[in-house]
Amino acid sequence: MIWIVMIIAGLLNFASRFVMLSGLAPAKLPEKLEEALHFVPIAVLSAIIVPSVLPGDTGSVVFADNPRLPAAIMAVVVALITRSVIFTIAAGLATLWLLKWLVY
Amino acid sequence: MWVSYQAFLLYPAYNSQNDRHLDGTSVMQSPPNTTYPSKAREFWQGVRDETPLMLAVIPFGLVFGALGLAAGLAPLEVILLSSIVFGGASQVIFAQLWSLGTPAFVVAGSVATINLRHVLYSASISRYVRHLPLGWRVLLGYLLTDEAYAISINRFQNGPPSPHSHYHLLGTGLTLWVCWQAATIIGVIASNNIPESWSLGFAIPLTFIAIVAPAIKNRADIAACLTASMIAILGQGMPWKTWIVAAAIGGILAGWLVHRAKARSA
Repeated sequence: MIWIVMIIAGLLNFASRFVMLSGLAPAKLPEKLEEALHFVPIAVLSAIIVPSVLPGDTGSVVFADNPRLPAAIMAVVVALITRSVIFTIAAGLATLWLLKWLVY
Repeated sequence: MWVSYQAFLLYPAYNSQNDRHLDGTSVMQSPPNTTYPSKAREFWQGVRDETPLMLAVIPFGLVFGALGLAAGLAPLEVILLSSIVFGGASQVIFAQLWSLGTPAFVVAGSVATINLRHVLYSASISRYVRHLPLGWRVLLGYLLTDEAYAISINRFQNGPPSPHSHYHLLGTGLTLWVCWQAATIIGVIASNNIPESWSLGFAIPLTFIAIVAPAIKNRADIAACLTASMIAILGQGMPWKTWIVAAAIGGILAGWLVHRAKARSA
């Protein structure tokens, strides 16, 4: 099952990169579509970030007593300053480990 | 390197015979000053231009190898994700959603949605590669990642027009591909026994934070981010984890509406 989903995801991924090179699509995208596409990464990734920073049991979110929240805030700060994926991951994980060790 | 750019514009017609030379350095004697970089030179320039980015890509690949295992995927699944899906954010989403027991159609749909941005890349390079044979376009499409695009679009737009310019994209794309595969494999091997208490899975949302935070530049972006976040929180009870899709659509719509409203009032 996982292999089928993986291959479908791979094909969809390839399709999004190939579609405008295929010769089948119009040379230029409609302006409204192009504008909307700009918001795709922000919307999808925000939707995934929030529940995984505030994970509760089965379908709830937790703000209190949650070391992931300050760790994520630290990561946002580091991401804005460095724009580096690796530094952001390092800062977030380091903060999480530190808080778990010190507080929780 | 590309000093002949201006000269090329003066002599736009080049001898198509020269296309067949593997090494273009010694061809193009007539008219003078119309040389363009050879295929090999374009390729290696692409490799060189892409190399600095490997400082970020290789550690990310290592981390992906580790977090894929942390998310509960088998080693072979993690390794092959890197070549079948071949996209950092999509692979991380795949691992995250799969580990949550998300239904297949939501996983595939989410991966596809996050990659819609590649349609924009595809559109912006199409004028430089659409004359190529199908095999070339399939290969370049497969290799068209954020990092390869970012470097090669600069060469396409600001370098001299050349019938060999697609070799630059081949160079940047292959450099990324090779490093990404190698880093994933090493990450999987090296992290096989990392204990759960290290919370390596938390690297997944951290990866996304690194992508999203710098991308938020104006009110429309903020609207997209906040709307998607709110729907994601409030929609946690929705069946089949469809809150992901609902939040994505809501966020895109909110961002776009604010963008439109701003454009109209301006």
